[in-house]
Amino acid sequence: MEVIIIPILASIAVMALGKKNQIWLSALLSMLPLVFVAQFFNRVGVDGGWKTLFDQPWISDNIRFTTGFDGLTGILLLLTNILVLVIILGGIRNDEHRVKITALTLFMQGALNGVFMAQDGLMFYIFWELALIPIYFITLTMSGVNAFKITLRFFIYTFVGSLAMLASLIYLFLHTANYSFAFEALRAVELSHTESIFVGGGILLAFLVKIPVLPFHSWQADTYTNTPAAGTMLLSGIMLKMGLYGLLRWFLPLAPESIEFYQPWVIGLSVAGVLYGALIAIRQKDMKRLVAFSSLSHVGLIAAGIFTLTLEGLEGSVIQLFVHGINVVGLFLVIELIERSTGTRMLRELGGLAKNNRLFMIFFMLIALGTVAVPFTNGFPGELLLLKSLYAYRPNLSLLAGLTIIFCAVYVFRMVQFSMFGEGKGEVASLKWNEILAFGIITFFILGLGFMPQMLIDIVHNSIVQIGQWVSEARGVMS
Amino acid sequence: MIALFVTFFSAVVLLFLGLNKKESNYSIFAAISLFVSAGLSWACSANLISFGLLESWVPANMMSFGKEQHLFSALLAFIVGLIILMFRKNEFVGNDQLGLMMFSLCGAYMMVSYQHLVMLFLGIEVLSIPLFVLAGASKTNLASNEASLKYFLMGAFSTGIFLLGTAFIYGGTGSLELEMMGIKPSFMHAMQGMPLPVLINAGIVLMSVGLLFKVAAAPFHFWAPDVYEGSPNRTTLFMATVVKIAAFVAFYRFLNTFAGIADAWKGWISILGAMTILWGNLAALNQSSVKRTLAFSSIAHAGYLVMFLLMADGTNTWILWFYGLAYALASVLVFSIANQLSVSTGKNDFSAFNGLAKRSPFVGVALVIGVLSMAGIPVSAGFNAKFYLFSFAWQHMPWLVGLGLLGSAISVGYYFKFFKHAFMQESEDASPVLDRGLLLLLSALILLLGAMPWAVLNGIF
Repeated sequence: MEVIIIPILASIAVMALGKKNQIWLSALLSMLPLVFVAQFFNRVGVDGGWKTLFDQPWISDNIRFTTGFDGLTGILLLLTNILVLVIILGGIRNDEHRVKITALTLFMQGALNGVFMAQDGLMFYIFWELALIPIYFITLTMSGVNAFKITLRFFIYTFVGSLAMLASLIYLFLHTANYSFAFEALRAVELSHTESIFVGGGILLAFLVKIPVLPFHSWQADTYTNTPAAGTMLLSGIMLKMGLYGLLRWFLPLAPESIEFYQPWVIGLSVAGVLYGALIAIRQKDMKRLVAFSSLSHVGLIAAGIFTLTLEGLEGSVIQLFVHGINVVGLFLVIELIERSTGTRMLRELGGLAKNNRLFMIFFMLIALGTVAVPFTNGFPGELLLLKSLYAYRPNLSLLAGLTIIFCAVYVFRMVQFSMFGEGKGEVASLKWNEILAFGIITFFILGLGFMPQMLIDIVHNSIVQIGQWVSEARGVMS
Repeated sequence: MIALFVTFFSAVVLLFLGLNKKESNYSIFAAISLFVSAGLSWACSANLISFGLLESWVPANMMSFGKEQHLFSALLAFIVGLIILMFRKNEFVGNDQLGLMMFSLCGAYMMVSYQHLVMLFLGIEVLSIPLFVLAGASKTNLASNEASLKYFLMGAFSTGIFLLGTAFIYGGTGSLELEMMGIKPSFMHAMQGMPLPVLINAGIVLMSVGLLFKVAAAPFHFWAPDVYEGSPNRTTLFMATVVKIAAFVAFYRFLNTFAGIADAWKGWISILGAMTILWGNLAALNQSSVKRTLAFSSIAHAGYLVMFLLMADGTNTWILWFYGLAYALASVLVFSIANQLSVSTGKNDFSAFNGLAKRSPFVGVALVIGVLSMAGIPVSAGFNAKFYLFSFAWQHMPWLVGLGLLGSAISVGYYFKFFKHAFMQESEDASPVLDRGLLLLLSALILLLGAMPWAVLNGIF
């Protein structure tokens, strides 16, 4: 409850303060929910099930405002609030839109916390949609010929997916015993095979569009490229994770009967996306577009891992969604700083940036290593687990998906080489305190999780085992 | 009844006040009397006060005043009060217009509380005749004259068809009273093998056609865009909100009598609803005029409300009440911003909105809230209204709800044009938007109904 309300109030405060507001103040405001998240970890813990923290009738007596907390929620709350802090510290350019974007980012923080804490189906949907509003208005600050078309395509894609999910949730709702949207009530609904394929399909569509998995990805690259950096970071770092979280939390438990049907499709499309994204990323000239496609490739692997339904796959996916959030925001932050200093993000027009700003180069290099999943960086353990789970499902697919490690090294190091080394074509301004702090947080997680990945696994283990149990109860088998 | 009484007498007073001073503006007086009517009606519905003597003047088989009727009267009076308040500055022509609008509202009261089809007919006439005048109120404007004539012709046609339907119903059931109408057919229904008289079904069809004209549902919507565009903004808003809500309530109460007896109408009415949803939303996509876009959007909303007719079991009127309130609040908000901008820039297309967010950020926020509520995106009153409507209608016509969701997705395509112009375009025009306080109040109401609908509904029902 607090973590939802406080950021929304903070965003109103930022709007009211207007231009007088400084970075340190908004950073402090965005840190407040972190205190509460830490308190949740402390007070509620991650050992039991999904514990309810707050419960109140909302849309009707049985459609309630219910927030819950467990390890999975905890990880995503951590990710959201840490990344929002990073974005506010480093991601927002000091131009005419600064106040608006800061306020919208804070608003989005509240909505996202709501998505991850919702224990009620309709509440989940409401916050899911609510998170779309601020990001839409952030994308509206983009300029260019096709700007409105790009933003509208983004909105309509995700909105159509969400409506499909809403239809499925309403269907489940009408089949519950006492017309309730509560997670447990929705889960208790028994569906026939045909019903579950439609209901599961609706829910799945919302998540696949958001992730995005291959045929639903066409909104992604344009939106990422043209949106101001803060928006790109929010989209790639957190919003994407809403889709993956939704798969774990809502799709698998609510429509386990349909998993059998969708499993080969989703895994196949995800692995196709892994290769497609990586291959296209290699040929990109625009750094932002490159990272956009690399993101398509990385999350494809996570989605595939979830659908293998193995313990390694599910745990690996949680680790990797956290790690991908950190790394991709780091990359976009690097690109944003390069663009701020040099005015371009085209690889051809860049070079030799490492010469005068060693600190920046060290940060960039660490983030790049994390993205490539070098051992002892955060990318490695998750990717290993995911590939292992995929190997258990189909060894050939695992081989194909494993190629991504090579491709990833190609496009990331190509980006590093063309921008940082070679003949000098520009300089990156020396880093300010807030940018150093932002990079510091990111590097802390890159190295910390690289050495101690078990920390994340410990947090989510109970939740994942629980989800695995539900799925195996419905399917009879759990490998 | 009390709302009818207060509104009627303050309308008469307004007419006399306007006689001497032609240029004076009594909008505030009108708005206050309407809010008082709304408040008294609401108090009656909550049993805080009662006007038994007043209500005993009207025979109970003509008009009834239960809780629902009071609540709908309160809603209608509140909406008209808002309209008059928001448009008190522009388009001022005379107090006769305010009076006419309030007389028209009296017709709407009759439509929501009739017990006898003759009262329904009278209500429709009392509602429509002032509107013919109001539609042509800007006398020098050709479009307005055209709107008036069109509305008059269409109104005359639909009334004729409606009356024929009434006659058929009388022939088939032997009564014009809502309570009695169902008795004969249900008796025949109970005796297996006795077919319903064709007259009943034919009567339902003809009366529905008459009412569908009033709510501008496809395929009887062709008059709507022209009339909405030509009429003065205030009248357009009145037609899009009050007339629609009153007609839907009347429609619902009428069909409710035949629910479970003659259900043939459910099939074709839902097909018409589907047509309306698709037609309204698709046609709105390609409009350049703001008013025309909003006209088509109101056709689409009529299409969603057709779902409401299908769940005629007498217990769900609160859904229509909530939907009507949410839709009216958003319409008043968006329409009054559009009106002020078109007055200050002289443009009627979307470019009037250019640079709005930069020029006056708070009005930009209000516009966002209004448009999102119209599109049905949480957390706004419009989302909750649509959610209640869709989730209840699902059990009756699931495919229509699917189409409704599709329609909502399409509607984003034209609603978000407002944002394109307000947030992405620059403009040299710098005139500020007036009435900030009222706009913010309206958006706060929309957010309140969006954030805590159940608490509000529990307080009212």
